Amino acid sequence: MNRLHRFFRTPEAIAGALILALLVAMALAASLLFPGDPQAIAGPALLPPFQDWSLPLGTDRLGRDVLAELFHGARTSLAVGLAAAAAALLIGTVVGTLAGFAGGLIDEVLMRITDAFQTVPGFLLALAFVSIVGPSLGVVVVAIALSAWTGPARVARAEVLSIRERDYVAGARVIGMHPIAIAFREVLPNALPPVLALSSVIVAAAILTEAALSFLGLGDPNRVTWGGMIAEGRTVLRTAPYLSIVPGIALVLTVLGVYLAGEGVVESSAVRRSLS
Amino acid sequence: MPELTISRRGLLAGSALLLASTALPAIGRAQAPKKGGRLIVAADSEPRNLNPAIVASNGVFFISSKVVETLAEASFDGKDGLEPRLALSWEGAADGLSVTFKLRDGVKWHDGKPFTSADVAFSALQVWKPLQNLGRTVFKDLVAVDTPDNLTAVFKFAKPTPFQLIRNALPALSSVVPKHVYENGKIEDNPANNAPVGTGPFKFAEYKAGQYYRLAKNADYWGMDEPYLDEIVYQVLPDRTSAAAALEAEEIQLAAFSAVPLADLDRISKVPGLKVVTKGYEGLTYQLVVEINHRRKELADLKVRQAIAHAIDEDFVVKTIFLGYAASATGPVPKNDPQFYTADVPTYPFDVAKANNLLDEAGYKRADDGKRFTLKLLPAPYFNETKQFGDYLRQALAAIGVDAEIVNNDSAAHIKAVYTDHAFDLAVGPPVFRGDPAISTTILVQSGIPDGVPFSNQGGYKNAELDALIAKASETLDTAARTELYREFQKKVAADLPLINVAEWSFISVARDTVGNIANNPRWAVSNWADTYLAR
Repeated sequence: MNRLHRFFRTPEAIAGALILALLVAMALAASLLFPGDPQAIAGPALLPPFQDWSLPLGTDRLGRDVLAELFHGARTSLAVGLAAAAAALLIGTVVGTLAGFAGGLIDEVLMRITDAFQTVPGFLLALAFVSIVGPSLGVVVVAIALSAWTGPARVARAEVLSIRERDYVAGARVIGMHPIAIAFREVLPNALPPVLALSSVIVAAAILTEAALSFLGLGDPNRVTWGGMIAEGRTVLRTAPYLSIVPGIALVLTVLGVYLAGEGVVESSAVRRSLS
Repeated sequence: MPELTISRRGLLAGSALLLASTALPAIGRAQAPKKGGRLIVAADSEPRNLNPAIVASNGVFFISSKVVETLAEASFDGKDGLEPRLALSWEGAADGLSVTFKLRDGVKWHDGKPFTSADVAFSALQVWKPLQNLGRTVFKDLVAVDTPDNLTAVFKFAKPTPFQLIRNALPALSSVVPKHVYENGKIEDNPANNAPVGTGPFKFAEYKAGQYYRLAKNADYWGMDEPYLDEIVYQVLPDRTSAAAALEAEEIQLAAFSAVPLADLDRISKVPGLKVVTKGYEGLTYQLVVEINHRRKELADLKVRQAIAHAIDEDFVVKTIFLGYAASATGPVPKNDPQFYTADVPTYPFDVAKANNLLDEAGYKRADDGKRFTLKLLPAPYFNETKQFGDYLRQALAAIGVDAEIVNNDSAAHIKAVYTDHAFDLAVGPPVFRGDPAISTTILVQSGIPDGVPFSNQGGYKNAELDALIAKASETLDTAARTELYREFQKKVAADLPLINVAEWSFISVARDTVGNIANNPRWAVSNWADTYLAR
């Protein structure tokens, strides 16, 4: 309760939380408000926004309802963003904890692999991966996770390096706990907070990467994605700019919301740390 | 597309046509075309091999047809739709075993050597027949080319070959390359494939990868006073949206092959100084086709194929996807073909209820979730319109309870998936009709084609009757009888639906008002542009 209170102290955090709440509501309500396939043809093609109130945001090149696409697109963006971030955090913390706790050769090997991944630009890696395996939602999630896990791995390792020298870890060793158990039950939980602070950055980056992949035609073609909507709208940018602008704004707001909320979390935990 | 209802789009399309028609008399009035000047053209792709004798495709012709000439070019009012280029006349023997070409005198290659019948013989036997994508089929029975003198070439065939086919093939398949440049070494690896040497009005001057191709005037060209232009520069603009902006900024003067997206034409036709030209592509008709994999047991059932044909609203495709710049199709020969087209074929009007009934009759009832079966749909990535039609087809199939899952691939992966691996149920393809069904159309339904041949029947369709008809037509010499056989062919294809022809479309050019003599033949964009000029 106290923590929540602290979280909502800054206006940024409130704004971020509001945007995120709206986004989650959109994603959840998508099937209720717009049942059926959002890609179904609903009206005349290229209807501008605010002309026909049954299609408030107008229609695209084929006559699909832009508002329905926007709602269902929120679902894809959120799902991909969260799943990719969760996967990246999971891989990253496991690798980082193992490397930091084991040290020696294992540390060297794992960190050199991390370096290797880090030297390849993340987006390029995702692009190559998707174009080889073929675009589908699962593949896109894995591709983004592949390019995003190195950050959490490095942070987790740094935290673990300092934590493993603490007395309670030594204590656990003395009572004969298995090293793996010490690593994941004693060290990892304490190393997590700074790693989780990275999550907002990763979610935001994942949403953007997904949009960029879809923009290049490497998203799942059977789902609506904001990036795909922008790409579709690009061919008629001069005649129907709203087709690119509407999903573009949605994308900007989402990323902004995730950042602001993340910032709020970091700040509230910083306050707590300085208090304690 | 006869259409009497007045819509905003119809009016706009009409006004665009009107605009084009007002531009035409202006071209006619210009008594003496101006000489000189540099024409800057948008190019959307950079073909690696620029030898049109090997790669007979529009992307290559767009640049190379100004450098390397054919024996004859398509024409709006010439006899048999042809006008002479390197050949002055052509005569087929009654037995179909030979065709005699009389060649133009006084023609020089760009390197100064004289053009002779030996070059034609070399091109036909060493390049068109063994190496060219289209020539392999058309010239398969060519055994020798006799050269009694420097200006006569006699093509000899092992089996009777219809003269009509050879005639129809001349504009696209007969690019003549110089023997003295190609005779040593492997033809495919010859450096002239990337810097072609020909007899055309323009010499290949320079290529900067990712930037431009430059062609310079050939002062020794055989045409009187031609060419008018000093230079043609092809500015590489791979992004389709940038062509319109470049035209408006006067950075380029011409964007052919619909480099300006259809959706932008309404707007751009109102920009002063620019004209939208829909003519000049009559000989380059693309067909929007649903390719079917007959190995799937559902699709092997004629009723299912008929249901799919009934589920497609051709009117929607023409008006919404092609914005009216297309026509609905009835069969494998496009409506604008003057020789072979027949409207007397079974048709499949848009009727969702009927499609649903057909599927019920075929025994594919809807399951509890409303779906009958699932298909993999691969839209070809070459055109925006083929991709959009893929999205539309998915919706059209959903309406009849067929769940289509779209698989997107890049060009290379698409060709491999469809034509080599057969990893598709339905595919959307844009085959080209090239003036004669035997050139690139019958191959779409004929059986016995080896795996991996792109743009051929790779759907496992086999119909002995249709195969026999195609074989018979390929050796029928009489033009009327041959034409009749191809009408029969259209009926059979429309009845049995080895593939579904949805629409036919061509391209649009947008040019500055100052560019003269454009669109004056049915293959204008890929012709030699000797008489194109810039009025300043």
